[in-house]
Amino acid sequence: MSAATKGAPAGQGATLQEANASIRRQHIRHYAVAYGVLILLALFFIFPIAFMIAGSFKADTSVIADSGSLKAFIPEPFVGLENYQQAAERGNFWTSFRNSAIISAGIVFGGLLINSLFGYALARVPFRGKGLLLLIVVALIIVPFETLAVPLLLIMAELGWTDTLHAQIIPFLAQPLYIFLFYSFFLGIPRELEEAAKIDGAGAATTFFRIAAPLAKPAYAAAGILMFLASWGQYLWPVMVTRSVDARPLPMGIAEFQGLPPRDWGDIMAYAAMMVIPLLIVFIIFQRQFVRGVATSGLKG
Amino acid sequence: MTHSRTSRQVALMATVALAGTAFAAAPAAAQDDANVCDGVIDGPVTLEMTMHTGSNPGAEMETVDAFNAGPGAELGVTIDVIPIGEQAYETAITSAAAAGEMPDLVDMDGPSLYPFAFNGLLSPITSCVDQEKLDYFLGSIIEQGTYNDELYSLGSFESGMGIWAHKSMLEDIGARIPTSIDDAWTGDEFEQVMRDLQAAGYGANGPLDIKWHYGAGEWRAYGFAPIIQSAGGDLIDRSTMKGSDGVLNGPEAVGALNQFQTWVDDGLIDLIAEDDNNFTVGPDGEANTGDETPLSWVGHWMHSLYSENLGDDLVLIPLPDFGNGSKGAMGSWNWAVSSGPDGVPNSGDEADLDAAWAFIDYATSPESVLRFVNGYGAVPPTADLADFPGFQEGGDRELYIDYLSNAHSDPNLEQNGSMARPATAAYLFIRDRFSEAFADIVAGADVQSTLDNIVMQIDQEIEDVGY
Amino acid sequence: MSAIPSGGAEVAAEVAAATPIRPPQKQRSRFTADTVTGWLFSAPAIILIACFIILPFILAFYFSFTNERLLSPPGRETQWIGFDNYARVFNNPRFWTALTNNITFSIVVVPLQTFFALFLAILVNQKLRGVVVFRTIFFIPITVVMAASAVIWVVLLNPQGLINAFFEIITFGNFSPDWLGDPAYAMAGIIMVSIWASVGFQMVILLAALQDVPESLYEAARLDGANNWQQFRNVTLPGIRNPLLFVLTITTILAFRLFDQVWIMPDRPGGPLDATRTLMVDIVDTGLNQQAVGRGSALSVIFLFIVLAVTIVQRRLVKQEGEIK
Repeated sequence: MSAATKGAPAGQGATLQEANASIRRQHIRHYAVAYGVLILLALFFIFPIAFMIAGSFKADTSVIADSGSLKAFIPEPFVGLENYQQAAERGNFWTSFRNSAIISAGIVFGGLLINSLFGYALARVPFRGKGLLLLIVVALIIVPFETLAVPLLLIMAELGWTDTLHAQIIPFLAQPLYIFLFYSFFLGIPRELEEAAKIDGAGAATTFFRIAAPLAKPAYAAAGILMFLASWGQYLWPVMVTRSVDARPLPMGIAEFQGLPPRDWGDIMAYAAMMVIPLLIVFIIFQRQFVRGVATSGLKG
Repeated sequence: MTHSRTSRQVALMATVALAGTAFAAAPAAAQDDANVCDGVIDGPVTLEMTMHTGSNPGAEMETVDAFNAGPGAELGVTIDVIPIGEQAYETAITSAAAAGEMPDLVDMDGPSLYPFAFNGLLSPITSCVDQEKLDYFLGSIIEQGTYNDELYSLGSFESGMGIWAHKSMLEDIGARIPTSIDDAWTGDEFEQVMRDLQAAGYGANGPLDIKWHYGAGEWRAYGFAPIIQSAGGDLIDRSTMKGSDGVLNGPEAVGALNQFQTWVDDGLIDLIAEDDNNFTVGPDGEANTGDETPLSWVGHWMHSLYSENLGDDLVLIPLPDFGNGSKGAMGSWNWAVSSGPDGVPNSGDEADLDAAWAFIDYATSPESVLRFVNGYGAVPPTADLADFPGFQEGGDRELYIDYLSNAHSDPNLEQNGSMARPATAAYLFIRDRFSEAFADIVAGADVQSTLDNIVMQIDQEIEDVGY
Repeated sequence: MSAIPSGGAEVAAEVAAATPIRPPQKQRSRFTADTVTGWLFSAPAIILIACFIILPFILAFYFSFTNERLLSPPGRETQWIGFDNYARVFNNPRFWTALTNNITFSIVVVPLQTFFALFLAILVNQKLRGVVVFRTIFFIPITVVMAASAVIWVVLLNPQGLINAFFEIITFGNFSPDWLGDPAYAMAGIIMVSIWASVGFQMVILLAALQDVPESLYEAARLDGANNWQQFRNVTLPGIRNPLLFVLTITTILAFRLFDQVWIMPDRPGGPLDATRTLMVDIVDTGLNQQAVGRGSALSVIFLFIVLAVTIVQRRLVKQEGEIK
């Protein structure tokens, strides 16, 4: 029984029971405040999503009409999946979804391979000229995409790539940021394993794919998740380079759908819901990996 | 076929005749080995056409399907549609052209035609139309499709704009209800009507709905340029076509927009509505609760929704006269043929003009026009109104025909009627600047300096690009 | 702005830190199988970088000195016009409006969002049951891509929407502005959305940083009699200094790249009276809508220099503060 607990009102002649009760009260207060604050903040972060979901089941005219009161969170009048159907038809949701999926898959898988190969080469393969290459890569990290956007658009036009999916994939496969991430990571893995492999007669390719890459899982996870989030949310580039429904990814899809008269807000909320919920579910299931990936990039960078 | 001999019909006929004579000598304008209609379609061919998907692509798609199944099948011509969102439509075509991927056929909104023709993106169809075809159309259609004395496009329908109103509310405040464009409200009268409506409690967010939620883009130029034109100003000095100084920022335009700004300041304009409910059922979403917005400044496309909701209580009122006449709007989507994927005229990669013309001919035939008018409540592009009771004398949209049969493009004419949007290749630039300026003015900017600013930009752009 | 660094400018600030630029050369490089392998592995990336990063970069500079347009009428040649584009940009009041907007946005958002993120991280770092749930919830807006967030918030920020409903309650009906339509409040509306959508990202990074601070340091401080605030100042802040700097730098650069919300949310890109017009809006409007590739390129180059300048200035400022302490 330790009487010297921190919050105890020391030396005021209180009985032990009273002291314990007071500590308990303080703890309860502390917990109440802590949870209270957390819950309030949670409400702040969740309410737009609740609004979106409720709105997606409401009749179009009610979404705005009810938007100023708590009725906004109640799917009344309930129209079932009608808004979702309309969003899919009038908004061409599934085409845009397919586009986004292809683009993100392309960028993530292609990008992980290309960037990690280069990062590995820079870190571990002694070859002529790599110092210079590394310098160039590092220098390019600072160049924001926006500086390149307009001339890149012109290049796309010259190549005849405007309004295509590959115009949204190929220019983004090689990214100095991720190359550097892999480079830093590969520098840190112990050489012994690779040396052992070399003694066994393994070539560089085998060493990479069998030894180095598996060791770099955290880097792949981090880079993969960031690439995915970035490509899934890309809006600026599609605005510039795509027009037709066949090439347009989801962020642009919803922006266009929102701007198209007549604006049926129920449909728009349904579109947003279809855009958001799959990713949300994936995130909730894989949240530890997501969070670790993001944190790794931050700490490593 | 009834031929009503009202002066209006005669006026319509006159404008058509005038337009028709412009092309009597059409072939003379064409160049050697230009892409011309020679009456022969070379083999079965598939043509790509971009189409704007706006509020309701129904009638356009139906037309394409009907063509592909009918006349197209017979002639061996198939149209393949590429839908593109209305918002960034012109930019899309431009990028496609820059990428060497212009489709064979395009539909475009009215004056967007001029920049495209200027940039050589279109093939003239002058050689394809005969007199009979020309006679079918209102002069405004022909005028809209003409650039540099060549005909580039034809539209399947015209447009019209006015103020839709709840008749009962106007009667309640004792307002005079104009019956034709000749007795439109003056600007001041209109203001008084709005104030009276406001005082009577009509329109929770302002008695006048102006479809503000349509956002940036063509609407703000199409819908509100008539205000300055009605006051005697204009978007560009049509005598020189080289600048807007003096007409866009002159005392007439400034005065009219200053008046409009006071309406905004006094809460007469509904800027909050995010959809069409305010006029039809009111912001609470429930019909007939008395909180509907009494007035709606918008075009013909709202007719079917509005009449569905208001029935007999719906009345169409001409736009107010700010001193130089009540000016309406005109022009709408029209069909044109590109100069091939590379966007360069006469470079050899153009589609067979006869094949393209086969579609345009069909899309502007009476059968198709019926589809558009009935599908959209669009204004017929022809003087022959036999099939369109709503637009005939006594019909609920007679007003639009009134405007069109008095169409003119000289801003100095103190006349009631539609004003054509200016036939300048700088149109897209001008309309974007005007649209922004109008939004700024609604947000409270100083009218004179805002207009001065865009005039400067417009004049500079015209000089830069050499329009 | 979106929280995800989709370029790499943010990381450049950290380049000078930890990792060596020149890897330790253990072997003399000569023309061996290794060289072939090295170049082979590097080839795809090199080609892509050359075509899609270096080439446009050079073109941006080149076009900025010409009057190139996206589409030209037949017969019009692009000409070299020297610094005309730059002069035009600097003489255009709209450019200065955009720059000012970006600066205002940064000055407000960077400290606000970073310390909000830190606050959240500290909250979530407590040993409370179920705190992981909250961490997840705070991160959720990141998975709602910015474009979708923008669309949803358009309705929320409507004068008759939920945000105003909230404000009306706490101010007894005195405060319910037209967020997106009123030039005075448009920026505030955009800031609200941006913070909501992005703070989770910074929170996660700072959380990891917080967890790296050894508990023993805190205990030592407590034994010395430090209270919570003193512990925070003397143990926490120094302990997370590097990641915190990193977050500050990223957030600043992302603030200058603000685009999605200001393009989608106001009823015209750039907002009422250009109240939320940013440099990116200017670049896209000029290069794409107005088809003025030359002037758009000049803007892009200027943008690059601004980002560089901001990064350098920020590093200096922060270094000074560190030295003073």
